[in-house]
Amino acid sequence: MVHGKTTTIKLILGLQSITSGKVTINGYDIEKEFTHAIKKVGAIVENPDMYMYLSGYQNLKLVANLYKGITKERIDEVVKLVKLENRIQDKVSKYSLGMRQRLGIAQAILHKPNLLILDEPTNGLDPEGIKEMRELLVDLAEKEKMAILISSHNLAELDNFCTKVCIIKNGEVIETSEISEIKKETSQNLQLFEVADVNLVKNIIKDIIVIDHHRFKINVPRENVPEMIEKLVENKIKIYEVKPEEKTLEDAFFEKTGGNVIE
Amino acid sequence: MSLSNLVKNELIKIFKKKTIYITMVVIFLLFIFMNCMFKYANSGSEYDYYLYNENYINSLRADLETLNPEKPSDVTVYIDLLSEIQLSEMMEQHKDAEWKLAIINERIAPYITERNTYQYGAEKNEAQVQEINQEIDALLAKLDENDWKYFAREDLTKAEQQIEELNAQKEQTEDKAVLENIEIELNNAQMEKEIAEIRLNKEIPYGTNYLNRAISNLQQAHTNLANFKNIEELTYEQKLEYNRYLEDQAESRYILETGRDIHNTNTLKGILENFYSQFGIFLIVVVVMIAGTIVSEEFNKGTIKLLLVKPYTRSKILMAKAITTLIMMIFIIVVTLVMQMLIGGIIFGFDSLSEPVVAYNFNTNTMEEMNIFANLGVQTLTQLPMIILLATLAFAISALFTNSTLAIAISLLGFMSASIINQLAIGYDLQFMKYFVTMNWDLSIYANGALPYMEGMNMTMSIIICVVYFLIMMMPTFIVFKKRNIKNI
Repeated sequence: MVHGKTTTIKLILGLQSITSGKVTINGYDIEKEFTHAIKKVGAIVENPDMYMYLSGYQNLKLVANLYKGITKERIDEVVKLVKLENRIQDKVSKYSLGMRQRLGIAQAILHKPNLLILDEPTNGLDPEGIKEMRELLVDLAEKEKMAILISSHNLAELDNFCTKVCIIKNGEVIETSEISEIKKETSQNLQLFEVADVNLVKNIIKDIIVIDHHRFKINVPRENVPEMIEKLVENKIKIYEVKPEEKTLEDAFFEKTGGNVIE
Repeated sequence: MSLSNLVKNELIKIFKKKTIYITMVVIFLLFIFMNCMFKYANSGSEYDYYLYNENYINSLRADLETLNPEKPSDVTVYIDLLSEIQLSEMMEQHKDAEWKLAIINERIAPYITERNTYQYGAEKNEAQVQEINQEIDALLAKLDENDWKYFAREDLTKAEQQIEELNAQKEQTEDKAVLENIEIELNNAQMEKEIAEIRLNKEIPYGTNYLNRAISNLQQAHTNLANFKNIEELTYEQKLEYNRYLEDQAESRYILETGRDIHNTNTLKGILENFYSQFGIFLIVVVVMIAGTIVSEEFNKGTIKLLLVKPYTRSKILMAKAITTLIMMIFIIVVTLVMQMLIGGIIFGFDSLSEPVVAYNFNTNTMEEMNIFANLGVQTLTQLPMIILLATLAFAISALFTNSTLAIAISLLGFMSASIINQLAIGYDLQFMKYFVTMNWDLSIYANGALPYMEGMNMTMSIIICVVYFLIMMMPTFIVFKKRNIKNI
């Protein structure tokens, strides 16, 4: 998927040079005042590449050496936070991908950054790992009070715990806004009905979108729903369920991008 | 946020890796192996030129029987074989003292061949054979008296007589050419006399040990130096040659004077004296290995990203790696030196460390003594430019191409081809090569005021050239590293 997610992150972190525009973090320009800009940033770029021949703890110690005032207690605290306390003395080469990912987060938050940048943090994790990671990130955002920037192509994942999204397609920003906003914007007034027999409904109400024998969708505003129910009940149609149809981020994405076309 | 934190981390990363320990252990074992080889290489027979072998002599005898001395085509081979057999037999009878073997080899051997030639050769002469046999018998009789000094005294008298005669001749002639000839002969006779006196005074029996080698070197140097007497203007090559003979002469005299075997490599001191020429390759391999991986490995393993998003400028990060390489270089030099000192000490004993290192000083034309530790310091300093430049080459390639194999291979190739390049440059007298790095990175060529490879070279210039090469390699490395985009791995 060459859409420029990792490249964007590398630009933000000063790992690649910027040809036009500029990146500022905490008010500092990443190119001109690199050391100031990067000071309060923690990051994992691409894979959580750690020194495999060192233990998890030694890896964290190396990072701690490069910042002022990171105490042993802070390291222990972070280790506990990412739930690695049982394996922290093992060599990283013996870690699973999920553990490496968590160690990567540990080294990124050791110096209490106010911006944490993660590149596909759930990539390659099993469902349980994904769940743990999600909890960890939500936890971090609350406890350590940091903004977390995540790049991902897993939209369902982002839908679950992100507040703001920026959609990049073929290297261009298509959308930047709150998730709830996007959903609202793209949402139509679709209502989902579950009834005993759809065929009977067809005769009463036109414009229904039949899904299967029991379910259909209809595009009416929320205010009109009671009226519709009344009408159906009058005609002796058995209604089991009525609910507004939820838009996922994925739907919104496709609506915004018009499908996944690489130009 | 200082450089020292980065350097500390780099050192931790190196010392937590197994590679360095494995290499050091391998080098340790190689050092033991090499020291053992030195130990046993020179401890064979002292009688270098005499190795009696019964089977070999028997095979010679068998060969001899197939030949017919009457046949003209066989006769030269017959005489050679017969002489060799007779010589070997004579030596076998006198192997109780080395000096006897030396006398037989040097003085009786020509008589044996001569006698056999008169006996079997084309011009047979029975009277000559008898005469020579008497000479041989007289010499053998003297050998049996077990007094080597007799021969030395005889040499002395002969030389004195010759000097007297030559001096007498000198007064009788005015012919320049003849005088010149007499002068040369007189010179040689005086040398003979001096050597005979040294033998008697210092009690040096004939043989092949280092003292006898010093005597023959002295003689050789003396003859060679005499050849230079009549040359007015020396070319640079001749100057080099002349200096070499002066060195030989001074060295031989020093050995005879003090009785010290200064060229003995069979002691701890002797090995340490040549530490870099024998063991330099090992420490260079390790240094180049570290310099060639310190940057590229981080790129290959992706860990460079961890480092580059820390609040340090890229120059600082690269500088830390360069400094770390330098620290490791010093560390490895010290470790290998200590390693050799311990291993050598255990195998050869530590006593020789109290002996001074002796070297000829070309400026003062004297032998200078130096403590072995001071000598090691000087050796290290003179080799530093080479080691640093090789490490820099590996470092630069490693940072520019992020390829460790390439970096290590090219640097080691550079090290190994240096001596060939220098030999060619000197051999073909390629003057422009005096600005080439391999001609300048070994400062030991300037030690003790020796003349450098080529006219016009000097130590200051060499150091400047090394610095220039260093900068040429380092500057692009820093520029590229600063601008480099971290590609997706």
